[in-house]
Amino acid sequence: MNTPALKVKNLSVWLASGSGRIPVVDGISFSINAGEATGLVGESGCGKTMTAKAIMGQLPVTGIGVSADAIEVEGRDIYKLKAGQKRAVLGRDIAMIFQQPATALDPVFTLGQQISAVYRRHCGGSRRQARQTMLEALRGVGFSQAEDIAGVYPHQLSGGMRQLAMIAMATVCKPAVIIADEPTTALDNSSRALILQQLRQLQTSRQTAILYISHDLSVVRQTCRDVMVMYCGRIMETADCQSLFSHPRHPYSAGLLACIPQLGKTRPAPIRSIPGQVPAAADLPAGCHFAPRCDRAVAQCRESVPELDASGGRGAACFRPL
Amino acid sequence: MTQGTWQRLKSDPYGMGGLAVVTLFALLAICVWTGLLGQGWSAVTGERYEAASASHWFGTNLLGQDIFSRTLFGTATAFEVGLLVTLCSTVLGTVLGGLAGWYSHGWPDELILWLKGVLDSIPFYLFAAAVAYALQGSPWAMHLAMIATFWTTTARIIRGEVMRIKEREFIEAARAIGLPGIKTVFRHVLPNTFHILLVQGTIVFVAAINTEVILSFLGLGIKDGVSWGLMLAESSQEVLAGHFGNFIAAGTSLFLLMMGFNLLADALQDALDVRGALN
Repeated sequence: MNTPALKVKNLSVWLASGSGRIPVVDGISFSINAGEATGLVGESGCGKTMTAKAIMGQLPVTGIGVSADAIEVEGRDIYKLKAGQKRAVLGRDIAMIFQQPATALDPVFTLGQQISAVYRRHCGGSRRQARQTMLEALRGVGFSQAEDIAGVYPHQLSGGMRQLAMIAMATVCKPAVIIADEPTTALDNSSRALILQQLRQLQTSRQTAILYISHDLSVVRQTCRDVMVMYCGRIMETADCQSLFSHPRHPYSAGLLACIPQLGKTRPAPIRSIPGQVPAAADLPAGCHFAPRCDRAVAQCRESVPELDASGGRGAACFRPL
Repeated sequence: MTQGTWQRLKSDPYGMGGLAVVTLFALLAICVWTGLLGQGWSAVTGERYEAASASHWFGTNLLGQDIFSRTLFGTATAFEVGLLVTLCSTVLGTVLGGLAGWYSHGWPDELILWLKGVLDSIPFYLFAAAVAYALQGSPWAMHLAMIATFWTTTARIIRGEVMRIKEREFIEAARAIGLPGIKTVFRHVLPNTFHILLVQGTIVFVAAINTEVILSFLGLGIKDGVSWGLMLAESSQEVLAGHFGNFIAAGTSLFLLMMGFNLLADALQDALDVRGALN
């Protein structure tokens, strides 16, 4: 338990532009232990998906740069691995579940073919063995008639079933870490419950570490023990879900929580929002990026950057925490 | 090809008619290859310009050869040229188009597009004559000229399609499970272009048979054996003299096969287009 399943140290992602670097993810660090799920929440465009892609080595593509001190999976630094070695790790030790299950599966192959291919690529073995493992993986995510599902093409399934199949594919090699990038955003509520249940089961039964990326705080609350709140490429607050929801310390987290509409009140309160807009990545304010929208900001907030000190498991990058 | 595609194709009478015609000609070609039919194409079995009769269904030509046998043999020639050119140019076009699309705007793309531009800018019949001259009358010069130029259309279509497909999420997903780029192209990108290749293949097949006829007519085509093009070339003198045997036999066969293939290609395109099926 001493080595975290996933440890990210000082990860930065930037867009290269004519005038210089536009930071998208700005030196974030975190770690997730085996069997734990950590949520990464934030508004659209705050750098959540970029973080996931950077960890998976899906960057750099043209115009996007990545740097990190280390990205460790079970203590092994995958950031410094050569491309070939890294490909051996991807899908085997760390796997990803995508937002759009409709498009993340190849339409011309059956689910069975696709899942077996992942297994055979990473774990070798005979065709028969791959098929057995593939069927187990499908059964593992709740398909009781795995043989039938294996012979089916992605377009013949519903969105929820496709996402379950994605999970089966991601877990067929029993990875230590799964990154789930908004896996339920495209799904209806009952499918969502099913997916979340499967992810929780992975945590408990296989001790898989899960990085759960979402903009939906309530889903994160259901799924994760810990949560990180991201804003403009920085982690603003990190805490366990319970404390975050009861006592947010960063004004931004508090603002986000206040935005969740409350049902059941006798007099409906007006739906709140955080005043102002997310600044463009090319034009970030100096100091704390949230300062212009923050009603607690003082001069210091606009001049220097508050550090995130999460030594006690919880912390807020704020000079004047709540 | 999925079950649904076949169902849609089956419900298209024109497509099925086309398929029937093509299948009939293909069977005739197979019979010629296996030696069951058309073996007497070069034997002199009658008088010159005999009219159609029970022993010579389509009559005889200048030398007294049986035009029916020659037409049958011409069918085999057409399929031989069509299959070979379609197969080679499709493979070439798919691989080069796939690479160009995958590395779009990189140097492989530039190189392939340059090659395509050069080949497309040479007038085809001039090119065919040049290849025939360079290969000193090799019987394969015609095939080579066609393969070398026909791949460009396939490559252009595949390149565009690959550029579209590679942006899709399942390609990213393939990368996220550690599949190397070049394997992704062959494993996940190109299989998704199969429906286009099928249609494009039938179009190339038609073009190849057509071109063979023209090249043979010009004397740049078939060297040994007989083809519809050679028969049409012979007929150009005969028609003026009132002997229509060669002209009608070769012309009708060519027309029927082309028609069949075009109907089939059209129906295939509709059947493989899932959007069409929804309507």
